[in-house]
Amino acid sequence: MSDPLATHDYSPGALVAALEFLKRTRWELRSLRYAHVWTDRLRIIDINGDAFEVRGVGFPDADVVPLLRAVNAAFDPATIHDPIDQDYKELATGRRHPWAEDRVM
Amino acid sequence: MVSVPLNAPSLNEASEKDPFNNNSYGTLVDRTYKPVALPVLDVTDFNERIVRGYEEGYGESELPADLSLARSLVPAGTASLRDFSYIAPEIPEYIPENCTGCMDCVTECPDTAILGKVLGEDEWEQKLQAIPEADRAMYRAQWSKTKKYYDAGKKKTGQGGMFQIIIDPSKCKGCAECVTVCDDDALKMVAKTDEVMVNARKTHRLFKDMGPSNDKYISDTLLIDMMLKEQTHVYTGGAGSCAGCGEGTALRMMCAATGMKYGDQWGIVAATGCNTVYTSTYPYNPYLVPWTNSLFENAPTYAIGVRMRWDQMGWKGKPLWVVGGDGAMYDIGFQALSRLFASGMNLKVFVLDTQVYSNTGGQASTASFTGQNTKMTIHGNVFGGKQERRKEIAQIAMMHPRTYVAQTSCAHTNHFYKSVIGAMEFDGPAIVCCYTTCQPEHGVADNMAGEQARLAVDTRAFPLLIHDPRAGDTVKKRLSLLGNPNMKGDWFVHPKTNQEVTFIDFARSEGRFVKHFDRDGNPSNTLLMAKQDRLENWRLLQELAGLR
Repeated sequence: MSDPLATHDYSPGALVAALEFLKRTRWELRSLRYAHVWTDRLRIIDINGDAFEVRGVGFPDADVVPLLRAVNAAFDPATIHDPIDQDYKELATGRRHPWAEDRVM
Repeated sequence: MVSVPLNAPSLNEASEKDPFNNNSYGTLVDRTYKPVALPVLDVTDFNERIVRGYEEGYGESELPADLSLARSLVPAGTASLRDFSYIAPEIPEYIPENCTGCMDCVTECPDTAILGKVLGEDEWEQKLQAIPEADRAMYRAQWSKTKKYYDAGKKKTGQGGMFQIIIDPSKCKGCAECVTVCDDDALKMVAKTDEVMVNARKTHRLFKDMGPSNDKYISDTLLIDMMLKEQTHVYTGGAGSCAGCGEGTALRMMCAATGMKYGDQWGIVAATGCNTVYTSTYPYNPYLVPWTNSLFENAPTYAIGVRMRWDQMGWKGKPLWVVGGDGAMYDIGFQALSRLFASGMNLKVFVLDTQVYSNTGGQASTASFTGQNTKMTIHGNVFGGKQERRKEIAQIAMMHPRTYVAQTSCAHTNHFYKSVIGAMEFDGPAIVCCYTTCQPEHGVADNMAGEQARLAVDTRAFPLLIHDPRAGDTVKKRLSLLGNPNMKGDWFVHPKTNQEVTFIDFARSEGRFVKHFDRDGNPSNTLLMAKQDRLENWRLLQELAGLR
């Protein structure tokens, strides 16, 4: 896995700054494909494999929920904090608005 | 009125607007117009005058309302002349050193816009020498030595096969489905700069000029390799479907499997729906076989008539496919479909199952899932989307006398091809129902057709099945659920997470179910009912197949 194009160091209580950082994925990355979330970091990956990373927050943390929502990841908030045997959780980010509400022809 | 200028190059030749002749007949190699011996259709006039009118932007306003237009006949393959190079900001780029030659990208493209070729090393080198020196190094670098064609080919024939993937820039809509299905990082999306587009256009031209693939390197038993052969490209690029359309891929693959065996000696009766809109937007037709359309509800009946006439003409051996979506097959045309099965006639039905009326804007069909938010079952305070259960056309078809039935998805390539080939080999009525992602109505990204189809199977939303009446005298012997994960269990357990993957996980990944989750992510009661419905449907199939 290649190095992320941009990183952000999360600090507790500074959720807004992390959300602002993730907004950049909309124009600096292509269509998002996955979110990978470790115990201590979150990586947002596009269809080309390019990525942004937020360091210092992971799936055990409460603040991971709004961050994952910000990138439209499909996950169950009831189990997102559960421990796993693998290194990271992989969550798809391909959900869009139905009825073409977000499409302009 | 505008007329074709004298001495204007043919639309099937290079021109100032199309300097590398990318918008041309033939998919892997060039070909001439496909003439027909009918007094009512002049193919050259149609292509040179009418298609030109639309390509140059004056067709609707300035072409005269003459007999050619009034008859609504469109020659085969006119979509080849259509230019889509301007509609997307990005295009895939091939990275040869990473490619394994798996052919997934070629197979899953909905627009016949990504193509493969394999040549013996000597003939490849010889053909490269015929390329202008200025372009030779650029083009040579785009070929790869894969284990599949080079190493294995060397063992088999004494010489390795050189393999190439190219993108047809005039047909690609930039959906990135190919990039998504590539597990080898051999494709990535890049911006369409002038330099990128000139190289893509030039590469596509050189690719066609290299001639056909060498058959020695194509395994007849490896179904996914069939698109290396020109005869399988019966559905050309240039159809007007949405970027990433799941239906486009399904139609292409069905045409490829049929073309592999029957060339262009077969036909299609299409029921009105999205499929007829994007494959017959005047004057563009992507099919290279006879195709006809009447109404939403009568395609099976219409096909019975065509079949009778073909049989009278001595064309018993030519397959006839009936194509339709939810409305045509599940709903308004359902009685006609049942009649077709009961007839025992040699007709093949291909259902593009999008679980919604995609063409008319996303209304519920009887194939919509419980809880689905559609325009006739809008999710509101009283009702959370569709309240009825999904109708299962495969089970209903199985109960008709001696009917071949398959339920499949394009993401399961082998299962798909076996389903279609099995349907054609069966000497009676057959139906292949294919899960097809409709990006705008399902609420998923353009590159997600394959991923969502696979998830639909993994979560029992849409199980794979083949019911072959030749396999035995009981339902248990005739019905196979091979291809579904964890065939004997309730839900698939993901090997990486050790967690069950259920219909709720499928629903979480699509916009059409998003209103069923509260702020804490808990699913609604309706969605839990949908989950139970999918489980009961799966258990019924297991019971019929003798797995419970």
